[in-house]
Amino acid sequence: MKGFKKVSLTALTLIVSASLSACGSSDSKSTASSDKSGTDNGVKITLLNSKGEIQTQLEDAAKSFHEAYPDITLEIQQVPSGTSPFERASTLYASGNQPTMIMLDTGDVAKFKDHILDLGDAKWNSDAIDSALDLTTFEGKNYAFPLAVEGYGLIYNKAVLDKAVGGNFDPASINTTSSLEELFKKIEASGKKALTISPMDWSLGAHYLPLAYGGQSKDSTEVAGFISSLRAGTVDLSSNKVFNGLMDTFDVMMKYNMDQASPLSPTYEKGPEMLGKGEVGIWFMGNWAWPQISGFDTANKQYGFLPVPVSNNPDDYGNAQISAAVSKRIVVDKEKTTPEQQAAAKKFFDWIVYEQAGQDFLVNKANIVPAFKNITMETPDPLGKSIQAYLAAGKVEPSLSDLPADHWTKVGASMQKYLSKAGDRATLAKEIEDYWKTVK
Amino acid sequence: MILPAGLFPVLPVFNTKESEHAMIGEKGFWNRLRLRLLFTGPTLFAFLAVMIVPFIYGIYLTFTSWDGISVAHTLVGFRNYGSVFADAEFWSSFGLTLKYVLFTVVLTNVLAFMLAYALTKSVKGQNVFRAGFFMPNLVGGIVLGFIWQFIFNNVLVYLGQKASIGIFSASWLAEPDKAFWTLVIVTVWQYAGYMMVIYVAGLTGVPADIQEAASIDGANSWQKLIRMTIPMMVPSFIVCLFLSLQRGFMVYDLNLTLTKGGPFGSTQLVSMHVYQKAFLSRDYGVGQAEAFVLFLLVAVITLLQVYFSKKMEVEA
Repeated sequence: MKGFKKVSLTALTLIVSASLSACGSSDSKSTASSDKSGTDNGVKITLLNSKGEIQTQLEDAAKSFHEAYPDITLEIQQVPSGTSPFERASTLYASGNQPTMIMLDTGDVAKFKDHILDLGDAKWNSDAIDSALDLTTFEGKNYAFPLAVEGYGLIYNKAVLDKAVGGNFDPASINTTSSLEELFKKIEASGKKALTISPMDWSLGAHYLPLAYGGQSKDSTEVAGFISSLRAGTVDLSSNKVFNGLMDTFDVMMKYNMDQASPLSPTYEKGPEMLGKGEVGIWFMGNWAWPQISGFDTANKQYGFLPVPVSNNPDDYGNAQISAAVSKRIVVDKEKTTPEQQAAAKKFFDWIVYEQAGQDFLVNKANIVPAFKNITMETPDPLGKSIQAYLAAGKVEPSLSDLPADHWTKVGASMQKYLSKAGDRATLAKEIEDYWKTVK
Repeated sequence: MILPAGLFPVLPVFNTKESEHAMIGEKGFWNRLRLRLLFTGPTLFAFLAVMIVPFIYGIYLTFTSWDGISVAHTLVGFRNYGSVFADAEFWSSFGLTLKYVLFTVVLTNVLAFMLAYALTKSVKGQNVFRAGFFMPNLVGGIVLGFIWQFIFNNVLVYLGQKASIGIFSASWLAEPDKAFWTLVIVTVWQYAGYMMVIYVAGLTGVPADIQEAASIDGANSWQKLIRMTIPMMVPSFIVCLFLSLQRGFMVYDLNLTLTKGGPFGSTQLVSMHVYQKAFLSRDYGVGQAEAFVLFLLVAVITLLQVYFSKKMEVEA
């Protein structure tokens, strides 16, 4: 009896001391860093990173930035996974703990307009690619630094597809729903699975479904008009050609989905593994997935994007285009920051755009497709390269990056329902229409 | 403050007799007040600053149309409360929370009592068992959610497919009904150990002499349990029921990490809905109003529970 008592007592002591020492170490760390900034007499700035996959690269960039400018210390914070950047940023603002710089999704910048610094007079404004700053320019002033161009579509593993078509696979040959289905059949005939659909609400709600909005027209004002009539509740989605075309393609994808027994089970991590290992030929995702794919790469870095076809007419808009836009932007807080911190933040932007080390971080380390014309480096990652090629050919459908903030959870949930066959297309159309009516 | 953290703020109550006494001389009153403030001041200040002021400010925000970030906000009167009653999702998530609370409270307490009862019968190694059952409490809700997500998504599915056990062959988190039960299972697993500790304390507090007297009168152990032990333990039950009720209503971390409210929003409990309303849909006013309505409902339910169970207390 006594022996057991001793064991449990020791266990308890261990746990308590472990938790205490955990607190202790974090305490000593924070005092150490504040001491340091005090003695160096330098500026300490913080960046809230909402692009989780480049966290380590950003931390390295912070180090090399500190080497170039020893009086500036940059600290990288991270938005917890599963939390949207806006949620995190507004919580931090509500508690008065906002960082110096915040990485936001494009559509959120406008909401923070009153709290952030006007960056319009920085040099990089004139070097940004066409219309990259349109969505963050208010009353003629640009408020955000465009960090990354991101695009998405059907990612293919060329090794698998070459084998399936028996020769060199030509991505341009996939331009209709039926040619895509043919391709799926060929992949299955070659003994592999055709594709995997990652069922996350953000993938389905923020990326897949918005193709139905963006695909309405080449003209961006018509797309904006379509969105406002959705808000007004005057759109009948169930008779909309693009929506139906997109969902027809989704039906085909569901038919060949390797997880159709339990379509909502797969996690994000499964997608890059299946595609990289060549278990499947195709995965619907964007270029941010390259770091994960490369971990499993068996196709010698031969990957690329296919458009998501929306009809059986190869000439229709959307059948040759992939969706891309500036997705992440950095803003600078103007409420809690000192002029020195603001200057330091601006220096960080200049460092990224104009200095070798900064460009190297952006393009080579973080695998980002830059939004600046002066950066001529080609991304080493095949998906970024594929986007750069589509950009160069003008085959890009602008992604809708200013959708309402809760669009992805609400519409994503409806898409999940459709994917798991818990709701049919009429239900989906109705839920999307109802969602838009509630948007403020 | 979006959710009231404590339900029963202990307000400082001035002893009437003493304050009468203090009123006799002005000087005496001020001296007494100063002395009181010296001791209660810091706590009182902290309590006002982190509980009362945010609570009142929160109530004020329910009358505005603030979106959570903009500098200006306009007063809209009671319109937000109208939206709360019109928000069908709020009420369906509240209904789901009631269901969740019902199952977790019953299962947690039944299991905890059974564990406590078994572990006070001089079982070999009972201290190890007690420590073991208590252990899940030391793991934070967030980590716990991720661990169990892995178990439900990968471990059980792997075992189910290898051993062809139908019920485990697909992830439980992918189906609305089963995802709900994963929440219940993990909650019961986490809190049963905690409640067990309280019941163990209660069980050891049942006087041995009356038990012995009952044995001499020929009562068997079942009769002793029903007629004596349980009535004597009503205070423990009150505490445990209250704690599990309150935790059940306020659960957020587990909901967020285990199911994320999914699949397709079917396991979104009420706290999560309120949070999403305020911070994701950017309807801070309505979100705050929902939080306040939730506070009132939970306060009523827990007060009723304490009131009625107090009546069941007995003296030995």
